[in-house]
Amino acid sequence: MLVNEARQILSRASSLAARHQLRAISNSSQLEQQAQPKESQAPQIKKFEIYRWNPDNAGEKPYMQTYEINMRECGPMVLDALIKIKNEMDPTLTFRRSCREGICGSCAMNIGGTNTLACISKIDATSSKPLKVYPLPHMYVVRDLVPDMNNFYEQYKNIQPWLQRKNEAGEKKGKAQYLQSVEDRSKLDGLYECILCACCSTSCPSYWWNAEKYLGPAVLMQAYRWIIDSRDEMTVERLSKLKDPFSVYRCHTIMNCTRTCPKGLNPGRAIAEIKKLLSGLASKPAPKLETAALHK
Amino acid sequence: MLSSIVLRGAARCNAANLVKSVRLTPLKAYSTIVANTQRQALAKPLALTKSLVPIAKREISVSAPRMASASSNHTGLWTIERIVSAGLLAVIPAAFIAPSQIMDALLAVSVVIHTHWGVEAMVVDYLRPAVVGNILPKVAHIALIIISVASLGGLFYYIKNDVGLANGIKRFWSIKGKESA
Repeated sequence: MLVNEARQILSRASSLAARHQLRAISNSSQLEQQAQPKESQAPQIKKFEIYRWNPDNAGEKPYMQTYEINMRECGPMVLDALIKIKNEMDPTLTFRRSCREGICGSCAMNIGGTNTLACISKIDATSSKPLKVYPLPHMYVVRDLVPDMNNFYEQYKNIQPWLQRKNEAGEKKGKAQYLQSVEDRSKLDGLYECILCACCSTSCPSYWWNAEKYLGPAVLMQAYRWIIDSRDEMTVERLSKLKDPFSVYRCHTIMNCTRTCPKGLNPGRAIAEIKKLLSGLASKPAPKLETAALHK
Repeated sequence: MLSSIVLRGAARCNAANLVKSVRLTPLKAYSTIVANTQRQALAKPLALTKSLVPIAKREISVSAPRMASASSNHTGLWTIERIVSAGLLAVIPAAFIAPSQIMDALLAVSVVIHTHWGVEAMVVDYLRPAVVGNILPKVAHIALIIISVASLGGLFYYIKNDVGLANGIKRFWSIKGKESA
């Protein structure tokens, strides 16, 4: 009995001591953690040179405005810096943004000479060089970093980016699924992920020179996405709309599109596939599954 | 007692509903106004840009193929261009390995047409009517055709009346300086 009690007391005492020790350690480490940031609070200034142009100031030329940001109080991405500037330094700075995670394509702009999304491009805080931010190149500017996307969207509309079937009356929409084999579906991978941020189109010299006639890589990749879809039956009509010398054939395989794509897609390949289909060097394979089988 | 509570509750509910409905009707009206103006705003900029075209000199077309001469078919030409480009890989070495007038002619035609298409693409891309006016692009294109035809004619003349293309180029390579000769 006595022995047991003694054991219990001992174990309690030892556990208490251990707890005290632990607390002491954690306290000290907390203190250290608190102390560390205070020590390293020396501001890390990063310069941002941002394209500014306001149509309301008649006759004013576009200019570059420099902002200095303490990177210790700023998020890691360029969009964080832009939002910080707008919130705390200059509310007149205008730019598009929405999702802040690279899925909406709103914040496409030219950062450090590359078309990319501000929300997923990291700021190099260690470089003393100022980071230059321009709107997407060779687009009409609405204001500051906001380009006019009307032409781009009109072109996208022009390729009719929706599923088209010949037998619209026989296949009632929403009644049953269209069938597509796994293999056929896999052909859309690398195409459907496009968020239409226009980084690729605005990096393409052919699109710079002939934006009003050449459709540009982004729109052409979406055109190919619907051409190659096993469920779509308007392949011939879609291709015949692209036969003229400008819509597709202004592509000179410069491949800036593939290089700049922030989503890692390959519009250059899609355009090449369209050219192959147009010339008859390749043809769209028949669907592996009968697409409208469930509608019967 | 109970019934009065229920009644009161009902009255309260009614009052709340009334307040709500009073509030809702103007809100609804407001929202529809906003929606309508938004719809108009969405529809209008396009009309605006179209009407502004002559002022702002914006040459943006609504449909790309319509503006890009949809009637013409470029696929045949593109296919021939690819065939010639690929063919050059065989024609150039063949013309030098087995020099003959036929191979020289083939080499001359394929090289000249290949160059012509390349320069034509540059003319179309860089001498755009929107940038340099309507005359210069046409002049440049005609000049290019003249140059291409003249160079092909010259090469044919050389092939017919002289040592031939491949042999001529080989002779250029065999030219040596005076010291080594």
